[in-house]
Amino acid sequence: MSSFHKSSSLPAENPSLLTGRNWLERSLIRLIASHTPKCREVVKLLSQSMEVTLPITLRIKLRLHHLICAWCQRYERHLRALRKVASSLPEHVDDCCPETLPASSKERLKQALRGKGR
Amino acid sequence: MKLPNSGAANAVRESLRSVNPEAWVDQHGDYLYRYALIRVRHPEVAEDLVQETLFAALRTYTNFRGTSSERGWLCGILRNKICDHFREHAREVSYTDLEFLRDEMSHKFIGQDWNHDLGPAEWKPDPEAALDRKEFWETFRSCLDKLPERVADVFMLREMDELDTAQICEALRISENNLWVMLHRGRMALRECLQLNWFERKSKMKTGTGWS
Repeated sequence: MSSFHKSSSLPAENPSLLTGRNWLERSLIRLIASHTPKCREVVKLLSQSMEVTLPITLRIKLRLHHLICAWCQRYERHLRALRKVASSLPEHVDDCCPETLPASSKERLKQALRGKGR
Repeated sequence: MKLPNSGAANAVRESLRSVNPEAWVDQHGDYLYRYALIRVRHPEVAEDLVQETLFAALRTYTNFRGTSSERGWLCGILRNKICDHFREHAREVSYTDLEFLRDEMSHKFIGQDWNHDLGPAEWKPDPEAALDRKEFWETFRSCLDKLPERVADVFMLREMDELDTAQICEALRISENNLWVMLHRGRMALRECLQLNWFERKSKMKTGTGWS
Protein backbone atom coordinates (compact mmCIF):
# COMPACT_ATOMS: atom_id res chain seq x y z
CA MET A 1 0.00 0.00 0.00
CA SER A 2 1.20 3.47 1.00
CA SER A 3 4.74 4.20 -0.09
CA PHE A 4 4.69 1.94 -3.11
CA HIS A 5 2.66 3.86 -5.63
CA LYS A 6 1.75 7.28 -4.33
CA SER A 7 2.57 9.78 -7.08
CA SER A 8 5.67 11.87 -6.41
CA SER A 9 5.94 11.32 -2.67
CA LEU A 10 9.16 9.66 -1.62
CA PRO A 11 9.07 7.78 1.66
CA ALA A 12 11.05 10.67 3.19
CA GLU A 13 8.23 13.12 2.38
CA ASN A 14 5.48 10.85 3.66
CA PRO A 15 4.21 12.42 6.89
CA SER A 16 2.74 9.17 8.17
CA LEU A 17 4.17 7.58 11.28
CA LEU A 18 5.41 4.54 9.41
CA THR A 19 7.00 5.33 6.07
CA GLY A 20 9.20 2.37 5.21
CA ARG A 21 12.52 3.93 6.23
CA ASN A 22 13.85 0.54 7.13
CA TRP A 23 13.12 -3.10 6.73
CA LEU A 24 11.05 -3.33 9.94
CA GLU A 25 8.81 -0.42 8.98
CA ARG A 26 8.30 -1.82 5.53
CA SER A 27 7.25 -5.16 6.99
CA LEU A 28 4.90 -3.47 9.43
CA ILE A 29 3.40 -1.41 6.65
CA ARG A 30 2.82 -4.51 4.53
CA LEU A 31 1.24 -6.29 7.48
CA ILE A 32 -1.03 -3.41 8.40
CA ALA A 33 -1.97 -2.69 4.79
CA SER A 34 -3.02 -6.27 4.21
CA HIS A 35 -5.22 -6.38 7.31
CA THR A 36 -6.88 -2.96 7.21
CA PRO A 37 -9.29 -1.32 4.77
CA LYS A 38 -8.08 0.91 1.95
CA CYS A 39 -8.41 4.70 2.17
CA ARG A 40 -11.58 4.86 0.08
CA GLU A 41 -13.23 2.49 2.52
CA VAL A 42 -11.63 4.16 5.53
CA VAL A 43 -13.11 7.57 4.77
CA LYS A 44 -16.57 6.00 4.55
CA LEU A 45 -16.02 4.26 7.88
CA LEU A 46 -14.75 7.45 9.48
CA SER A 47 -17.93 9.22 8.46
CA GLN A 48 -20.03 6.33 9.73
CA SER A 49 -18.14 6.32 13.03
CA MET A 50 -19.61 9.76 13.65
CA GLU A 51 -23.08 8.22 13.58
CA VAL A 52 -22.68 4.86 15.24
CA THR A 53 -20.12 3.13 17.40
CA LEU A 54 -18.22 0.82 15.12
CA PRO A 55 -17.33 -2.68 16.30
CA ILE A 56 -14.08 -2.76 18.26
CA THR A 57 -12.22 -4.71 15.58
CA LEU A 58 -13.00 -2.04 13.00
CA ARG A 59 -11.99 0.71 15.39
CA ILE A 60 -8.64 -0.97 15.95
CA LYS A 61 -8.17 -1.39 12.21
CA LEU A 62 -8.83 2.30 11.68
CA ARG A 63 -6.21 3.22 14.31
CA LEU A 64 -3.72 0.90 12.66
CA HIS A 65 -4.48 2.37 9.25
CA HIS A 66 -3.70 5.85 10.62
CA LEU A 67 -0.16 4.64 11.43
CA ILE A 68 0.53 4.16 7.75
CA CYS A 69 -1.67 6.94 6.39
CA ALA A 70 -1.42 10.51 7.61
CA TRP A 71 -4.05 11.56 5.05
CA CYS A 72 -6.83 9.50 6.59
CA GLN A 73 -5.72 10.66 10.02
CA ARG A 74 -6.08 14.27 8.84
CA TYR A 75 -9.41 13.43 7.23
CA GLU A 76 -10.76 12.25 10.58
CA ARG A 77 -9.53 15.46 12.25
CA HIS A 78 -11.19 17.47 9.49
CA LEU A 79 -14.50 15.67 9.97
CA ARG A 80 -14.43 16.57 13.65
CA ALA A 81 -13.59 20.16 12.79
CA LEU A 82 -16.52 20.24 10.35
CA ARG A 83 -18.83 19.08 13.11
CA LYS A 84 -17.55 21.84 15.39
CA VAL A 85 -18.03 24.41 12.64
CA ALA A 86 -21.59 23.36 11.83
CA SER A 87 -22.66 23.25 15.46
CA SER A 88 -21.17 26.73 16.01
CA LEU A 89 -23.06 28.21 13.08
CA PRO A 90 -26.00 29.52 15.15
CA GLU A 91 -23.61 31.97 16.84
CA HIS A 92 -22.30 33.18 13.48
CA VAL A 93 -25.45 33.49 11.41
CA ASP A 94 -24.96 37.25 11.16
CA ASP A 95 -21.36 36.80 9.99
CA CYS A 96 -22.31 34.87 6.88
CA CYS A 97 -25.56 36.54 5.90
CA PRO A 98 -25.75 40.08 4.61
CA GLU A 99 -29.46 39.60 3.86
CA THR A 100 -32.16 41.25 5.94
CA LEU A 101 -35.92 40.98 6.12
CA PRO A 102 -37.32 43.70 3.86
CA ALA A 103 -38.91 46.55 5.80
CA SER A 104 -42.27 45.89 4.14
CA SER A 105 -42.16 42.27 5.31
CA LYS A 106 -41.37 43.39 8.83
CA GLU A 107 -44.34 45.76 8.78
CA ARG A 108 -46.65 43.05 7.51
CA LEU A 109 -45.38 40.70 10.19
CA LYS A 110 -45.94 43.23 12.95
CA GLN A 111 -49.47 43.94 11.74
CA ALA A 112 -50.26 40.25 11.63
CA LEU A 113 -48.91 39.78 15.15
CA ARG A 114 -50.91 42.76 16.40
CA GLY A 115 -54.01 41.12 14.95
CA LYS A 116 -53.21 37.81 16.63
CA GLY A 117 -52.60 39.42 19.97
CA ARG A 118 -56.19 40.61 20.27
CA MET B 1 -52.24 35.64 40.95
CA LYS B 2 -49.90 36.69 43.71
CA LEU B 3 -46.36 35.48 43.13
CA PRO B 4 -43.85 35.25 45.95
CA ASN B 5 -40.89 37.63 45.98
CA SER B 6 -37.95 35.71 44.62
CA GLY B 7 -35.57 35.89 41.69
CA ALA B 8 -37.43 33.26 39.69
CA ALA B 9 -40.84 34.70 40.44
CA ASN B 10 -39.66 38.17 39.48
CA ALA B 11 -38.36 36.76 36.22
CA VAL B 12 -41.79 35.28 35.49
CA ARG B 13 -43.45 38.60 36.37
CA GLU B 14 -41.03 40.37 34.05
CA SER B 15 -41.61 37.97 31.18
CA LEU B 16 -45.40 38.07 31.42
CA ARG B 17 -45.31 41.84 31.51
CA SER B 18 -42.93 42.22 28.65
CA VAL B 19 -44.45 40.07 25.91
CA ASN B 20 -44.20 42.32 22.94
CA PRO B 21 -44.24 40.33 19.72
CA GLU B 22 -43.61 43.40 17.59
CA ALA B 23 -40.33 43.86 19.41
CA TRP B 24 -39.45 40.31 18.41
CA VAL B 25 -39.56 41.41 14.78
CA ASP B 26 -37.17 44.28 15.46
CA GLN B 27 -34.81 42.41 17.74
CA HIS B 28 -34.81 38.94 16.19
CA GLY B 29 -36.43 39.21 12.76
CA ASP B 30 -33.24 39.52 10.77
CA TYR B 31 -31.48 36.81 12.74
CA LEU B 32 -34.33 34.33 12.31
CA TYR B 33 -34.61 35.21 8.62
CA ARG B 34 -30.90 34.66 8.06
CA TYR B 35 -30.95 31.39 9.99
CA ALA B 36 -33.85 30.17 7.85
CA LEU B 37 -32.23 31.40 4.64
CA ILE B 38 -29.08 29.37 5.31
CA ARG B 39 -31.26 26.28 5.66
CA VAL B 40 -33.91 26.66 2.97
CA ARG B 41 -32.16 28.98 0.48
CA HIS B 42 -35.35 30.54 -0.88
CA PRO B 43 -36.21 34.00 0.54
CA GLU B 44 -39.99 33.50 0.34
CA VAL B 45 -39.80 30.20 2.17
CA ALA B 46 -37.49 31.72 4.77
CA GLU B 47 -39.96 34.55 5.34
CA ASP B 48 -42.84 32.13 5.73
CA LEU B 49 -40.88 30.17 8.30
CA VAL B 50 -40.13 33.31 10.30
CA GLN B 51 -43.81 34.20 10.28
CA GLU B 52 -44.86 30.72 11.38
CA THR B 53 -42.23 30.85 14.12
CA LEU B 54 -43.45 34.14 15.55
CA PHE B 55 -47.11 33.07 15.41
CA ALA B 56 -46.24 29.87 17.24
CA ALA B 57 -44.20 31.83 19.75
CA LEU B 58 -47.15 34.08 20.49
CA ARG B 59 -49.38 31.03 21.04
CA THR B 60 -46.96 29.31 23.38
CA TYR B 61 -45.50 32.27 25.23
CA THR B 62 -46.62 31.02 28.62
CA ASN B 63 -44.25 28.08 28.18
CA PHE B 64 -41.33 30.46 27.97
CA ARG B 65 -40.57 31.70 31.45
CA GLY B 66 -37.29 33.46 30.78
CA THR B 67 -35.39 30.26 31.45
CA SER B 68 -33.35 30.67 28.28
CA SER B 69 -32.70 33.64 26.08
CA GLU B 70 -35.60 34.91 24.03
CA ARG B 71 -33.61 34.45 20.86
CA GLY B 72 -32.64 30.90 21.82
CA TRP B 73 -36.26 30.05 22.49
CA LEU B 74 -37.45 31.53 19.17
CA CYS B 75 -34.63 29.73 17.39
CA GLY B 76 -35.78 26.44 18.88
CA ILE B 77 -39.25 27.00 17.44
CA LEU B 78 -37.73 27.94 14.07
CA ARG B 79 -35.67 24.73 14.03
CA ASN B 80 -38.85 22.69 14.46
CA LYS B 81 -40.54 24.64 11.68
CA ILE B 82 -37.55 24.02 9.41
CA CYS B 83 -37.69 20.29 10.13
CA ASP B 84 -41.44 20.27 9.44
CA HIS B 85 -40.75 22.06 6.17
CA PHE B 86 -38.30 19.35 5.11
CA ARG B 87 -40.74 16.69 6.19
CA GLU B 88 -43.42 18.20 3.96
CA HIS B 89 -40.94 18.68 1.14
CA ALA B 90 -39.92 15.01 1.36
CA ARG B 91 -43.47 14.03 0.38
CA GLU B 92 -43.02 15.68 -3.00
CA VAL B 93 -39.35 15.32 -3.67
CA SER B 94 -37.14 12.28 -3.23
CA TYR B 95 -34.32 12.55 -0.75
CA THR B 96 -32.44 9.61 -2.13
CA ASP B 97 -29.92 11.76 -3.96
CA LEU B 98 -27.16 9.23 -4.21
CA GLU B 99 -25.74 10.44 -7.52
CA PHE B 100 -23.97 13.40 -5.99
CA LEU B 101 -20.23 12.97 -5.79
CA ARG B 102 -20.38 9.40 -7.03
CA ASP B 103 -17.28 9.84 -9.18
CA GLU B 104 -16.08 13.36 -8.54
CA MET B 105 -13.52 12.47 -5.92
CA SER B 106 -11.98 9.68 -7.97
CA HIS B 107 -9.03 11.78 -9.07
CA LYS B 108 -8.12 12.35 -5.42
CA PHE B 109 -7.31 8.68 -5.13
CA ILE B 110 -4.87 6.39 -6.84
CA GLY B 111 -6.72 3.12 -6.92
CA GLN B 112 -8.18 2.76 -3.44
CA ASP B 113 -5.63 4.93 -1.65
CA TRP B 114 -5.23 8.70 -1.28
CA ASN B 115 -3.11 10.48 -3.84
CA HIS B 116 -0.56 12.06 -1.51
CA ASP B 117 -0.43 15.31 -3.46
CA LEU B 118 -4.20 15.76 -3.61
CA GLY B 119 -5.27 14.22 -0.33
CA PRO B 120 -6.09 16.01 2.92
CA ALA B 121 -3.48 18.61 3.80
CA GLU B 122 -2.55 19.96 7.22
CA TRP B 123 -5.07 22.62 8.13
CA LYS B 124 -3.06 25.59 9.36
CA PRO B 125 -3.75 27.78 11.15
CA ASP B 126 -5.81 25.64 13.45
CA PRO B 127 -9.52 25.42 12.50
CA GLU B 128 -10.42 26.68 15.98
CA ALA B 129 -8.84 30.03 15.14
CA ALA B 130 -10.89 30.27 11.95
CA LEU B 131 -14.16 30.25 13.92
CA ASP B 132 -13.51 33.86 14.98
CA ARG B 133 -13.15 35.12 11.45
CA LYS B 134 -16.16 36.55 9.63
CA GLU B 135 -14.62 35.66 6.27
CA PHE B 136 -14.40 32.04 7.33
CA TRP B 137 -18.17 31.91 7.88
CA GLU B 138 -18.77 33.52 4.51
CA THR B 139 -16.58 30.84 2.97
CA PHE B 140 -18.38 28.09 4.87
CA ARG B 141 -21.76 29.35 3.74
CA SER B 142 -20.71 29.46 0.11
CA CYS B 143 -19.36 25.89 0.42
CA LEU B 144 -22.67 24.83 1.94
CA ASP B 145 -24.55 26.48 -0.91
CA LYS B 146 -22.54 24.43 -3.40
CA LEU B 147 -23.95 21.19 -2.02
CA PRO B 148 -27.14 19.88 -3.63
CA GLU B 149 -30.05 21.10 -1.47
CA ARG B 150 -30.96 17.71 -0.15
CA VAL B 151 -27.42 16.79 0.84
CA ALA B 152 -27.12 20.14 2.65
CA ASP B 153 -30.48 19.52 4.37
CA VAL B 154 -29.31 16.16 5.65
CA PHE B 155 -25.92 17.47 6.76
CA MET B 156 -27.41 20.44 8.63
CA LEU B 157 -30.18 18.45 10.30
CA ARG B 158 -27.46 16.15 11.63
CA GLU B 159 -24.70 18.62 12.43
CA MET B 160 -26.42 21.90 13.18
CA ASP B 161 -29.70 20.70 14.68
CA GLU B 162 -28.05 17.56 16.06
CA LEU B 163 -31.00 15.31 15.24
CA ASP B 164 -30.16 11.64 15.43
CA THR B 165 -30.20 9.14 12.59
CA ALA B 166 -33.67 7.80 13.35
CA GLN B 167 -35.24 11.26 13.51
CA ILE B 168 -33.77 12.32 10.17
CA CYS B 169 -34.70 9.06 8.43
CA GLU B 170 -38.27 9.38 9.69
CA ALA B 171 -38.60 13.01 8.64
CA LEU B 172 -37.11 12.62 5.17
CA ARG B 173 -38.38 9.10 4.50
CA ILE B 174 -34.96 7.70 3.75
CA SER B 175 -33.16 4.59 4.85
CA GLU B 176 -30.25 4.62 7.26
CA ASN B 177 -27.96 3.62 4.43
CA ASN B 178 -29.14 6.50 2.25
CA LEU B 179 -28.49 8.85 5.15
CA TRP B 180 -24.96 7.59 5.70
CA VAL B 181 -24.08 7.84 2.00
CA MET B 182 -25.39 11.41 1.82
CA LEU B 183 -23.58 12.40 5.00
CA HIS B 184 -20.35 10.82 3.77
CA ARG B 185 -20.47 12.54 0.40
CA GLY B 186 -21.62 15.86 1.85
CA ARG B 187 -18.79 15.84 4.39
CA MET B 188 -16.27 14.89 1.72
CA ALA B 189 -17.37 17.75 -0.53
CA LEU B 190 -17.50 20.31 2.28
CA ARG B 191 -14.08 19.30 3.55
CA GLU B 192 -12.67 19.62 0.08
CA CYS B 193 -14.28 23.03 -0.46
CA LEU B 194 -13.06 24.40 2.85
CA GLN B 195 -9.55 23.13 2.24
CA LEU B 196 -9.43 24.70 -1.20
CA ASN B 197 -11.06 28.01 -0.36
CA TRP B 198 -9.88 28.66 3.16
CA PHE B 199 -6.96 26.64 4.45
CA GLU B 200 -4.99 26.43 1.23
CA ARG B 201 -5.45 30.15 0.61
CA LYS B 202 -4.38 31.00 4.14
CA SER B 203 -1.23 28.95 3.82
CA LYS B 204 -0.43 30.50 0.44
CA MET B 205 -0.73 33.93 2.00
CA LYS B 206 1.71 32.95 4.72
CA THR B 207 4.36 31.77 2.30
CA GLY B 208 3.76 34.75 0.05
CA THR B 209 3.20 32.71 -3.07
CA GLY B 210 0.51 33.22 -5.69
CA TRP B 211 -2.88 34.29 -4.35
CA SER B 212 -2.98 37.41 -2.19
